Amino acid sequence: MKIWGTGILNGFRITMRNWMRGPITVQYPEQRLELPERARWTVTPKYNEDGTPKCTACLICEKECPDHVLRLDVSKLEDGTKHIDKYVYEVGACMMCGLCTAACPFDAIYMSHEYELASRYASDLSRVLLEDVDTASPRRAKKEETDA
Amino acid sequence: MNAAGAVAIRILAMLLLLLVNGVVLIYMLRKVLGRLHIRIGPNRVGPFGLLQTTADVVKLLTKEDLMPESADKWLFWIAPFVVFVPSFLAYLPLAFGPDLAVTRLDTGLLFLLAALSLIPLGVVMAGWASNSKWSLVGGMRAAGQQIAYEVPLMLAVLGPVMMAGSMDLSRIIEAQKNLWFVFPQFIAFIIYIIAAQADTQQTPFDMSEAESELITGFANEYGGMRFGFLFLAEFSNMFIVSALGVSLFFGGWYVPFLTENPVALSLAPLIFMIKTYMGIFVMMWARGSLPRIRVDQLLAFSWKALIPISLSWVVIWACFQRLVLVR
Repeated sequence: MKIWGTGILNGFRITMRNWMRGPITVQYPEQRLELPERARWTVTPKYNEDGTPKCTACLICEKECPDHVLRLDVSKLEDGTKHIDKYVYEVGACMMCGLCTAACPFDAIYMSHEYELASRYASDLSRVLLEDVDTASPRRAKKEETDA
Repeated sequence: MNAAGAVAIRILAMLLLLLVNGVVLIYMLRKVLGRLHIRIGPNRVGPFGLLQTTADVVKLLTKEDLMPESADKWLFWIAPFVVFVPSFLAYLPLAFGPDLAVTRLDTGLLFLLAALSLIPLGVVMAGWASNSKWSLVGGMRAAGQQIAYEVPLMLAVLGPVMMAGSMDLSRIIEAQKNLWFVFPQFIAFIIYIIAAQADTQQTPFDMSEAESELITGFANEYGGMRFGFLFLAEFSNMFIVSALGVSLFFGGWYVPFLTENPVALSLAPLIFMIKTYMGIFVMMWARGSLPRIRVDQLLAFSWKALIPISLSWVVIWACFQRLVLVR
């Protein structure tokens, strides 16, 4: 039957159906789609209620990352607790796989919904997540308890 | 005012119509195609993107006028005008109302088709003069296609001409006062729309442009307003073919059952334009729906299917009209 033009008519039918549906375009800067709940974008640290980071500097995320985009510079203090000098995150090289958050035993990082990552400067693609903070550590928590 | 002045004003009005049409049709094409593809189309320049084509025209006018080093300078320079002028000439016999045409020719239809058939000459010139293989292939395709589809186009036109007994477009429209020719001449109408689509190189027959393989084909090496002329001619051809279809098959300026109504008659040009734009919409709809066919299929379809069918339709209708209708 197609040789008699039914295929052509079907093509016309489909495009007219599209016409009736109206545009499905999202006008990006003015309109935005809501991201699904489990969308994975940048790695972001989580904080306790008092504002201290949940990170314990266990370095599992750094080891787990297939792209080697996470780097933790850690120094040990005299009392045996760890201090984070710098937690560096190369956004430009990250593939948002989420393995670091899955591996984190302390639930200290998560994949945020920040997806507008284009930047004019290459330096913006390397971020410092945490800088010069003490880690969350059970030992320090115990020490503070005894002090008080 | 003297006669020459009146003619000059008519011609200028028609030129203005052509230019405005070009701007409006490009905007319409982009909007219609967008909608058919579930998109929005231009919407940034001006309200609803209405100024988009105006901005494009300004861009084309201010662009650098490039001439390829190895081009045939004289032919390259003149080709856009050889495409554009016949396309403008074809506007002249069109009848927009009972007494509204630039010129009323007894052989208006013949004049229009003759003007249209000059266009491939310019296209071949553009293709040849560019000295680029893509342009040349585009130009050659245009020539082969136009020769193949000119014949069924003219044969399809013969049906309404036989019914009206005239080649004057106003007379043909007046003959459709009571019956649009699309009903008795349905086969001729189908042949006409296919051949017209091919004659104006519209998708699915846009072999000479072939965006995906030849990159606008014959217009490849052109830029700025020279390209603008080629582009404008394409859209004005669309308008001509649609207006001709309306004149031949859809009763021109007549509204069914209101043929004597003075209001309807006073709105004749408006009705004619609306019908023409509906025809153009169908052409754009086809453009948004159909893929391009192959060159050999295109030529085979014309020579093996369209021409035999249109020829036999002319013979059948001639016999029918002579033996049954007119005794």
